[in-house]
Amino acid sequence: MKSMSEYCTRNGDGSTLYQNKEQMMQDIRDGTADAADMAGVRELNANEIDHLFEIISSKRRVVGVERGREVVLSYDVGQLDMAGDNGNSGGGIASSRLNGALVHERTLCADTFELAHTDYSIKPVKPVIANEMNDMENIQNNLTIPYFYGAMPNMGLYYAPDGPYGNPADLMREFKIEEAQQEAEKSAVHLARDIEYVSTRVYKAGADGFNFDTTASAGDADFVGTLHGVEKLRAQCPNAYILLGMAGENVMGIHGEIEYDGQVVAGLFPQEQVVLAEKAGADVFGPVANTNTGKSLAWNLARAVTFVRGCADVSNLPLHVNMGMGVGGIPMAETPPLDAVTRCSTAMVEIAKVDGI
Amino acid sequence: MSDFANETKAVIDAMVAYKVDGIQKAAASAKAAGMEATEIIEAMGAGMSEVGIQFQRGKLFLPHVLSAANGMTAAVKELEADLPIDQVGTTLAKVCMGTVEGDVHDIGKSIVSTMLQCGGFEVVDLGRDVPSPDFIDQVVNNGCTMVGLSALMTTTMTVQEDVIKLLKEAGVRDQVKVLVGGAPVTQAFADKIGADCFSESASEQVDKAKALLG
Repeated sequence: MKSMSEYCTRNGDGSTLYQNKEQMMQDIRDGTADAADMAGVRELNANEIDHLFEIISSKRRVVGVERGREVVLSYDVGQLDMAGDNGNSGGGIASSRLNGALVHERTLCADTFELAHTDYSIKPVKPVIANEMNDMENIQNNLTIPYFYGAMPNMGLYYAPDGPYGNPADLMREFKIEEAQQEAEKSAVHLARDIEYVSTRVYKAGADGFNFDTTASAGDADFVGTLHGVEKLRAQCPNAYILLGMAGENVMGIHGEIEYDGQVVAGLFPQEQVVLAEKAGADVFGPVANTNTGKSLAWNLARAVTFVRGCADVSNLPLHVNMGMGVGGIPMAETPPLDAVTRCSTAMVEIAKVDGI
Repeated sequence: MSDFANETKAVIDAMVAYKVDGIQKAAASAKAAGMEATEIIEAMGAGMSEVGIQFQRGKLFLPHVLSAANGMTAAVKELEADLPIDQVGTTLAKVCMGTVEGDVHDIGKSIVSTMLQCGGFEVVDLGRDVPSPDFIDQVVNNGCTMVGLSALMTTTMTVQEDVIKLLKEAGVRDQVKVLVGGAPVTQAFADKIGADCFSESASEQVDKAKALLG
């Protein structure tokens, strides 16, 4: 039997954890300090820390925002979360792309939705672009909510053995650093060209916009290639709604020196990433904070909120924070615990001041 | 405090500045000042640890880590004549690294491979989507005493357990340390499948791998 002074909470791996108020408050203070130190943003102030404690320590299983503070919910991977079944979090429900979209609009009350290719990456869409354009047009004719096309830039697909360019990771282990950087730069140019090819075509087929999901998953050159791709889409489709979401809290420096608009992008944190997203022409930015499975929910959420709040403090763009398995303070678990998910979502809206999730 | 505090600091600073020629010059200056080769290498090791911390904090990046390691390798080569014979050309351990079969994610595993290499390990990187028997082959026939298994998906993390079972079936489980990692992997999962080591990050992996050496 746990003491009444203890709160039932979560570890970063989703397992149950009991903490008393002092332990929880200490984790909140440590988490916010870690994020502030890493990103160079301000720590949460005393009121924000108290509010965060109040959210995390609630005796209620499900926690929600105050009435009137609801935010927009957008979704990634399109219909794949219903139809997909890789033995993991997909629903495995036999359903067409149209049915998937209709269920999200009319049953799940999604505010926006998107069409997605099974591989969910830009590159493999090119050879099937005509099919994607056809499905986009057909489904748009049946939906009311904004309907986008979504894909990951996923620049890893441009490196050997999947693509035409040398693999920087392999080259660097042989200390061929300059060659690795050159291959990354060529891949970024190719990625931008493919983004232009895919995104402008689905837009012309009726898409309301494009969701660039998990940007910079292959590092800094991936980020630069995507930003140039966004520029091209914006130039050709001025009214397209462009959501640029990130892969991690910090841009991995695989190249280390590649620049966008005179700015080295390696190591940038959300409050710096969003500035470049706006310059490139994005309408909405999706910051990410990664979960540490060895730390508590209090530590992870305080840290995540600090990163995102720092981004919100400077951003001119609306923020739709990435929330899910292993990001946004949410534990890394196959099915993230609802108590943790709702606490993280509430804190992101009420403390980090995000505009959507 | 060492008698060569200034030289030690200069070597560490040169490592953090990650320029190959700068590291070589700092090591040569320390040697000229009378510092023992083993002490200089210890200082470079301390510098490399600081580089790892800076990498983990997002202040230095992969090419910088590699450049520092490259500089250290070049400087050690110049010091080899002054080293005890049993310390020349040694590595901490031979590690085979790979992303398990069915999983094509490469980048995280490659970063860990690079950091281990920079940390003094000999790394045999098998790539991604590696057939499970290939890991056992590296242990049995290539002298690897550590096996690093990466998985980015919940559907493939179970293959890490399959490899451990194969190591047992081959009768070599006790001869190797098994390191596991990847986004969905947790300490609890590592414990459940009987791995020896789980890490949240590449830098942490190097520290834990060194700790496993005893």
